[in-house]
Order: sequence, then structure tokens, then C-alpha cells
Amino acid sequence: MAEVMAEVKSSGPAGPLVTAARALRRDRVGMAALGVVLLCAVLAVCAPLIAALYGKNPTEHYGQNDPDLLSPEGLPVRPNGGISADFWFGIEPGLGRDVLTQLLYGMRTSLLIALASVAVIAVIGIVLGVTAGYLSGITDRVFGFICNVLLAFPTLLLLLALSPIIQTRFVSPGENEPAWMQFAVLIAVFSAFGWVPLAMVLRTTVRSLREREFVEAARAVGAGRRHIIFRELLPNVWAPVLVHVTLAVPGIVTAEAALSFLGVGINEPIPDWGRMISRGSEVFYDDPTYMVFPGVTILVFVLAFNLLGDAVRDAIDPRTAR
Amino acid sequence: MLSYVLRRTLQAAAVLLAITAAAFGLFYAAPSDPALIACGPKCDTAQVEAVRHSMGLDQPLVAQYVDYLGGLVTGRTINDVDGTPIECGAPCLGYSYTLHQPVTEAIADHLPVTLSLAVGALAVIVVLGVGTGLVSALRRGSRTDRMLSAFTLIGASVQIYFLGYALQYLLVYSTDLFPLPGYVPLADDPGGWAAGLLLPWLVLGFVNAAVFARLSRAQLLEVMHEGYVRTARGKGLSARRAHLKYTARGAAPPLAQLLGLEAGALFGGAFITETVFGLGGVGKLAVDAVVGNDLPTVVGTVLLAALCVVVFVAVADLVVAWLDPRVRLA
Repeated sequence: MAEVMAEVKSSGPAGPLVTAARALRRDRVGMAALGVVLLCAVLAVCAPLIAALYGKNPTEHYGQNDPDLLSPEGLPVRPNGGISADFWFGIEPGLGRDVLTQLLYGMRTSLLIALASVAVIAVIGIVLGVTAGYLSGITDRVFGFICNVLLAFPTLLLLLALSPIIQTRFVSPGENEPAWMQFAVLIAVFSAFGWVPLAMVLRTTVRSLREREFVEAARAVGAGRRHIIFRELLPNVWAPVLVHVTLAVPGIVTAEAALSFLGVGINEPIPDWGRMISRGSEVFYDDPTYMVFPGVTILVFVLAFNLLGDAVRDAIDPRTAR
Repeated sequence: MLSYVLRRTLQAAAVLLAITAAAFGLFYAAPSDPALIACGPKCDTAQVEAVRHSMGLDQPLVAQYVDYLGGLVTGRTINDVDGTPIECGAPCLGYSYTLHQPVTEAIADHLPVTLSLAVGALAVIVVLGVGTGLVSALRRGSRTDRMLSAFTLIGASVQIYFLGYALQYLLVYSTDLFPLPGYVPLADDPGGWAAGLLLPWLVLGFVNAAVFARLSRAQLLEVMHEGYVRTARGKGLSARRAHLKYTARGAAPPLAQLLGLEAGALFGGAFITETVFGLGGVGKLAVDAVVGNDLPTVVGTVLLAALCVVVFVAVADLVVAWLDPRVRLA
């Protein structure tokens, strides 16, 4: 975003993104949300450092090595999920891992998948949406039809069904699939369906931009299709892309957590919020604390991103302001 | 209007046909060997071959697809793993080798739960969504508006797999304020039916109502300040009548479209809600089928869910065309 803004700034009077950034800076809720989002990013990046300072790692089975921590049934001995000075957020029932480091590393999993998917979605959505909007005619018809088909698919069920199918296709039975493959499959599936709404918004935007005077002027002075798309149209679609991308991140994070919750998604031992919730649901009535941490973490994370997305939208389009 | 209805129906039919082809291609062509999966790990090579033949997997893919489509329309006979023929009546979605019954039957068994859940959740969505949207639009900027905004924002951000368990713990397990969630057929015990579904309705409805509430607030605000509503007020119409007659009609189209989309998603099965509350609906059937590698059931439930979305979105579009002549004449 900073790069784009710098570019706009250098190219003359305050562009729409600079104006929007100023509006965003005045929005207290939006700035608070941005702060939480940045904090999450810092925590995720620094997870190994924090874990080292805190003296735990997310994979070691502390509870199983120390009989004072877990009861024979696998439940934490101390109240409230085993919260103590050593284990700030308690320990996992059964395997006895540290909850805080699991959450921190789980944030890395979530953010990595969400950011990578969003990057792919942005590229596909921009290319297809701008092309369909600019070309119209038969290309546009085909585009609209494909979008309708993809939108009618039950996304979550399809994600659920496709992930294992893609995995069995590339990994021979009995073999453990490498970690990068699990990530790649999820990113591929999220991207394959996630671009549709963005592309549809951009198609509408470009359709109306195409008829505006500045495009007509460019065409009149003999600009080619390439110049019009890249130099005239693309700089004007950053705003909807930015809003869409900000709101897509929490959507993907929760979808990924939902997949893991339902039993497909990232496997052990890679820490994952959805799998923590799933494990928490098994022991919920005996150890409710264990589920509260991932549940509240997802809530705060999603809330911050949704608030930031709203703030970005309001900053870009003052008509929607509260 | 008639020509619009025809056009929209044809379009929906074309989308559905494309979806059957895509689903069929994805699931039957992609994995390494559906016959092996259907037969199970204990099968020897000859048995797998027999299953492959009885499933028709040794036929060309196009022939298989035509067979599948034919089964959807007229029904067909399918061979079980051991070769016994099974009558699969229309609309035949194939035979589940895991459940040992035609997929259509399996779905029909689970459908009442999903229907009950969806109908109640939709009622909550409409009442809660339009209600909060209306109140906050009428009192824009007030403290009520801000509180309702926070409320909908939480609804849009909270996850069913957290809220569902948390409420079950707080309201059922610890305090007995709510009856235990579960499903009793409506015909057997209407009171038990409603009691068992009350919490799932509220949770599913609340989470989905949030988006609806935000859209209805924005829509109502926009239309309320349109010239024609102001004119109506200016000519002496009371606020209530002006809003009922003009604002409601102007604001309704996008709401109808969103409701169509949400209804389509709900009737296709609420996977997470059903899992959280232990309800055996189509969503649970689908999740179990995915986990158990039961491909025919997966394809069947995917198609059912897609059918629901296509049909409800088409119905919503027709409602919009009926409300707004500009749409049907375009």
C-alpha cells in the first residue's frame, strides 16, 4: 500500500489513495483496528523469538513428561485449563502442549495461507475482471456464465471435498504429505473460488470507467488497448481491490479454521487454530478453557480485520460512512 | 415479465447443467481410483475390477456422465459391489457404497433436519436483520444505532464453531436456560421440535443476520433520502405510510437478492452448525461422506447444495424483476 501511495504522490496532485489514507488516519476505530492487525502480524513474524524468550515450543508434550500437569485422563490438573506462571494460557488436554505458543504459531499458519491466497486472488481477479469489463461482448458473456457457475457451488463443501482429492492425487497412499503441499492445496482451492466476487466488482467498475471522458480522450489521441488498460484503467481500480482484499483475509482465515474444525485442512503437528477448536470441542465440558483461547483469538483477529476493511471502505468512498 | 421469467429459467438451467458436468468431472476424474475407494482396503484386484465394472468406471467418461444425467431424469439400475442390481429411482444421484443405499434416499433421510433448521434460521435472519436495520436507519447516529452496529459487527465476526459451543456451555450445560439441542420430527412432537432447534436457529440466524442487517440499514438510509420519498412526505403522507409504500419497495431488491443467496446456502445444508449441535442433516451427511471418501454422496450433496443456490437466487431475481420494472425490461 505504501508503494502504491508513493507512486500516486509522485505523479501530481493528491490522488484518491492519498485522500483515503488521510481519511483513514482520522478514523479512530479504523486506526485501532489497524493497530491490532499490525500487532497480529508482528506476533506471527516474531513467534520463534517470543517462544524462545518464553521458553516453550509448540510441539513439545510438556504435560506428558510431567505428571503434575495432566491427570491420568489427560485433563489439566490445575484449574482453568492448567493456567500457571509457566503456562500462561494453560496446556492442551491429552497431548499436553503449551497453548500460548500453539496460538502464536497457529497465527503464522492462518496468516500465511490467507495472505498467499489473497495475493493470488488479487492477481486473478484483477486480470479477469478488468479484461471482461473492458472487452465486453462474448468474452463478457462467457465470464458471467463461469462466475455464475462458480458462485452456485457450495464453497465450503467443495473446499472440504476437494482438499483430500487433490492431496490423494499428488501423494501416494501411505506416504505423509509434506507441509508445503498442505499449504499449497489450501491456497490453490481458496484462490480457485475466491477471485469471483472481486472480478465481478471490477468488471462493473471498469465498465463504467470505460465510458468516462479520460478513457475516451486517451483513445482519441491514439492510445492502444494496452496503454488504456494498464495506464488508464488499472490505476483506478486499486480502491475496490484494497477493500476487497482487506475483507477477504478474515474470510479465508475463518474458512481455513472451519476446514480444520471439520477434520480436513492442516495436519498435525503444524499448529492450527481450527484444529485447536476441534480438539477443544471434544473435551469442552471437562475443560472449556482450552477452547476459549483459540475462539477468542479468532474473534479478535476477524473483528479487527472487518473493522479495518470497513474503515478502508469508508475512507475510499465517503458515501458509505457511518 | 413472461419473457424475463423464461430467460432467467433457461439461464438457471444452463448453470445447473454446467455444475453437474463440473462436479462430475472434478470428483470422478480427479482422484486416482474411485473403485478402490468404494471397495475399501480389503479388496483384491479382481474385486476392484468387478466394482469398477459395476460402477461403470470402465466406460468412457462422457458415457458415464450421460448415464449419470439419464439417472437424474429417469432413474437407472446400479450394481452393488457384489453385482446385485439396485433400482435407483429418479432423481438418481448414484449409489453410496459406504451407506449401502442410493444417495437420493440418504439425502431424503437427512433432509427434514436441514429443512427445519433452515426455515427457523431464515425467520430469525429476516426478523433480526430487517429489524435491526430498520431501527438503526430510523435513528441514525444515535446511541441505539451505534449499539446495534457493534452487535451486527460481532455477529459478522464471531464463528459458529465458537459461539455454538460457548452458548451450549453457558445456556444449556451450566444453567439449563435452554433445552438441549437435538432433532425431533415435527409431526411427532411440535413442541420438542421447536425446543430442540431453538438454540441452533438463534445461533445460525444471528451469525447470518449480521450481514443482512448491515445491508438493510445502508439500503434503507439510501432510499429514505431519495427524492420520491421526500416528495411523498412533502405531499402530506405520514412517515409510516411513506416508508411502507415507497421506502420498503425501493430498498427491497438487494435485500431479496441477499436473502435468496442465504436461503440457498442454508437449504443446501449447514455443515458447521449441524456438526456443532450434533444434528443429523444433509450437512452432516456431506461432512461424513467427505471424511469417509464416499464420492457418490459427496457429489450428490454438492449438487443438492448448488441446486438450492441456483433456484433461490433465480427466485430472488424474479422477485426483484417484479418489484423493479427496470430489471425485467433491460
